[in-house]
Amino acid sequence: MKKLVSILTAAMITLSFAGCSAKPASGGQEADAQGKVFHIYAWNEEFKGFFEKYYKVPEGITVEWTIVPNEDGQYQDALDLALMNQESAAADEKVDMFLAEADYIVKYTNSEYTQDIKALGVTDFSNTYKYTVDAASDANGVVKGVSFQCCPAGLIYRRSIAEDVLGTSDPAEVQARLDSWDKFNEVAALAAEKGYLMTASYASTFRVFSNNTQSPWVDKDNNLVIDPAINTWMEQAENFVKNNYTLTAGIWDAEAMAESAKDGRAMCYFGPAWFYNFSMGPAFGEDAVKEGTDSTGDWGLVEGPQAHFWGGTWLLAAAGSDNPEMIADVMNTFINDEEVCSNLIEKEAQFTNNQAVNAKFAADPEYGNAYLGGQNDTALFLDLAKNIKFQNHTNYDQLCAEGLQTYFVEYLKGEVDKETAMKNYYKYLNEKFPAVHTPE
Amino acid sequence: MKKTEGKRRRKSVSYSKWAYIFIAPFFISYIIFTLTPQILTVYNSFFENYRDGLTQIGPNFVGLGNYQKLLTPDSAGVIDVLKYFGNTMLLWILGAVPQFAVALLLAVIFTSSRLNIKGQGLAKSIIYMPNLIMASAFSMLVFALFNNIGPVNKLLISTGLIDKTFDFLTVKVSVRALIASMNFLMWFGNTTIVLMAGIMGIDQSLFESAEIDGAGSLHVFFDITLPLLMPILSYALITSLIGGIQMFDVPQVITAGKGTPNMANTTVIMMLNNFLSISKNYGMAGALSVLLFIITGILSMFVYRQMAKQYKR
Repeated sequence: MKKLVSILTAAMITLSFAGCSAKPASGGQEADAQGKVFHIYAWNEEFKGFFEKYYKVPEGITVEWTIVPNEDGQYQDALDLALMNQESAAADEKVDMFLAEADYIVKYTNSEYTQDIKALGVTDFSNTYKYTVDAASDANGVVKGVSFQCCPAGLIYRRSIAEDVLGTSDPAEVQARLDSWDKFNEVAALAAEKGYLMTASYASTFRVFSNNTQSPWVDKDNNLVIDPAINTWMEQAENFVKNNYTLTAGIWDAEAMAESAKDGRAMCYFGPAWFYNFSMGPAFGEDAVKEGTDSTGDWGLVEGPQAHFWGGTWLLAAAGSDNPEMIADVMNTFINDEEVCSNLIEKEAQFTNNQAVNAKFAADPEYGNAYLGGQNDTALFLDLAKNIKFQNHTNYDQLCAEGLQTYFVEYLKGEVDKETAMKNYYKYLNEKFPAVHTPE
Repeated sequence: MKKTEGKRRRKSVSYSKWAYIFIAPFFISYIIFTLTPQILTVYNSFFENYRDGLTQIGPNFVGLGNYQKLLTPDSAGVIDVLKYFGNTMLLWILGAVPQFAVALLLAVIFTSSRLNIKGQGLAKSIIYMPNLIMASAFSMLVFALFNNIGPVNKLLISTGLIDKTFDFLTVKVSVRALIASMNFLMWFGNTTIVLMAGIMGIDQSLFESAEIDGAGSLHVFFDITLPLLMPILSYALITSLIGGIQMFDVPQVITAGKGTPNMANTTVIMMLNNFLSISKNYGMAGALSVLLFIITGILSMFVYRQMAKQYKR
C-alpha cells in the first residue's frame, strides 16, 4: 500500500511539473501571437511547388504539409477529421490553411470550419476574378478564401495531327472547324480515318458538359439529377468508344496521358492552364525530356465547342488557426503580388487570379507559351475568363462526377448493360451519401 | 464448514492473485480496445447517425431500420450485402484452395526426415517474404504490371499471344484471378510455417514406426499427419476464413474501390468502407458489422464442427 501511495505521489508530482512547464510555453506563444507551425492541407503537390518557390516564409515559422490524394473523397475525409478535431488539437497541429477544389468548396465555405478572410486582412479583391470570390464566399457573402489561379478551360490540340486531319494548325482556323459539338464529332470521324484518336479518354469532354448543366447534381429536395448535358456526354462517349474515336481509359489514367507523348495519337485534350502544365506529364516537363516522350511546342489552344471552366484551387482560412497573419499574407501574395503572379505566368505557365498581370502578358507580343509553340495562351484565357460563372455547385459534386465516369465506363467496355451501369452508380452514391435520393 | 475453510485460506499466503495480475493486462486491453468497441458497434447499429457534408445527422433511434435497409432487395431482387458476401467468399476460396494445398505439400516436404531438405531456412524466408509487403503496395505493383499499358500487356502483344490490349483489370475472370493469386502468394508462406509447426509437434516415433511397418508416404500423410494435424489445420483454416471475410485492401486497390466489373469484386468490407468514408455512416456500418460478426461466428462454428467430426474417434 505504501508503495502504491508513493508511486501515485510521484506521478502526481511529475504531472504537476509537466503542467507548470506547459503553461509558460503557451504564455510565450501569446506574446508573439503567431504559431510556430503553419499547417497546410492539400491533395497534390501543385500549390506546394509554387509556395516553396515564391513565398517567403516568415522567420521562426515552419510550414508543414499534409497531402492526401483527392480520389474517391479521401482528401475530404482526412480534412474533415482534422477540422473537426481543430479545437482540441495542439496549437502546432491545428490546420491553418487548406486547399479546396470547385467540386467541394461549398461544403467548407458554408461551414463553421472556415473564417472570414476580410477580418484577417485580405481586403483587396479588385484584381481577382469575380467568380473566384463568389466561389469562396458562403451563402451570406462572407469571403472565406481566395484562389491563386483562374481556370477558364479550352481545347488543347496537337498541331501536327490537326495539320494532317484538318490541313491547318492555326488556332483561328482550327477553332472554326471545332466550334460546335456537331463539328467536333465530324472531325472525330476524320481523325479516326487517319488512325488518330479524337480524345484520349472517354471522359475527356466530361467537364465541358458538366460545367454547362442547367441544374446542380443534387437538387433542393436532395434528389440526384442527371442533367440533359450529362446525357449528351453519355451519348457522345458511347458513340466515340464504339467508333474508336477515343479510349476507355479514365481521364487521369496513364494510358490516356501517354497519348500526349511524342508518338501519341490523341488530337484533343480539354483543360485549363493547369491541365497542360501539371497533368500532361508524358508531354511536358523534365521527366518527359528525360524519357524522350517530350512533345513541347506541338500543341495549340482554342476555345473549342463550348466554353467552360474546370477546377481551380482555392486557399481557405481554417477557423481556429493560430497563424492568422500568415494566412492573410499568403493569400495577399498569391492574388496581389505582381512579381509572384508574373512568375506564375512566365515560369509556371499558370493563368493567375490577377487580372492586371494577366492583361499585361496578354498584351505582350513577346510573351508566348513554349508548350504551345509560342502561342499566347494568356490572351485567349483572358477572353474565356469573362464568361465564367460559379453556379450549380453542391457538396456532392466530386463523387457524383467521378462515380458516373467509373461506373459508366463498364458499360462502354461491354461488361454490363447501360441500366446496370447506372444502377451500380446509384448504389455507390447511396453508400457514400445516405442523404441523397437516387432514382429507383 | 465452508466458513472455516475460508478463514483458513485467508490466513495462508495466496499466490493465485499474481496469476490474475499477470493475465490482467490482456483482459484490460481486451475490454478497452475490443469489447467496448464491439458493444458500441451493436449500439450504433440501431441509430441513424451520419454526416451530410459537414452537418451531423442524428443519432436518431431507428430500431432495426438499418438492418432492414441493408437486407432490402433492389429492383432486380438482389440484396447487395449478400452479393458482396458471395463475392468475398468466392475470392477467399479461389485463393485459399491453392494456398492450403501448396502449404500442406511444402510443410510435409520441409519436415520430412527422409528428404531432409537443405537450405530450408532460406526457402522458408523466401516463401514468407510476400507477406511482409503491404497488401496495398503489392496491389499497386500488380496494378502497374497488368494495366493496359503495363509490361504484361506489352509482353503478350510483342510475343504475339494476343493482338489487342487485354483489359486485365476490367474483365471479371482476370480481376478475380489476380486478386485470388495475390492472396495466395501473400499467405501460403505463413500457412506453411504454421502447418510445419503443427507437423513438428507430432510425435516422431509415429512416423518412424509407420515407416518400419512399410507404410508409403501417401498412407503416412493421410493416416498420421493429417488426422494429428487437424487441430492446427482447422485453426489455420478458421483464421484464414476470418481473414478472408475481412478481405479489403487487395480488391480495394486493384479495383480503385469500385469492385470492377459490375461490383463483382466488391467485398463486404469495401461496402463498410463506403459507408464510413465521406458520410461516416456509423448506423449502417454498425449494422453491417453486426451481420458480419454473426455470419463469421456461424461459419467458424461450422468449419470447426466439420473438421472435428471427421477426425474424432
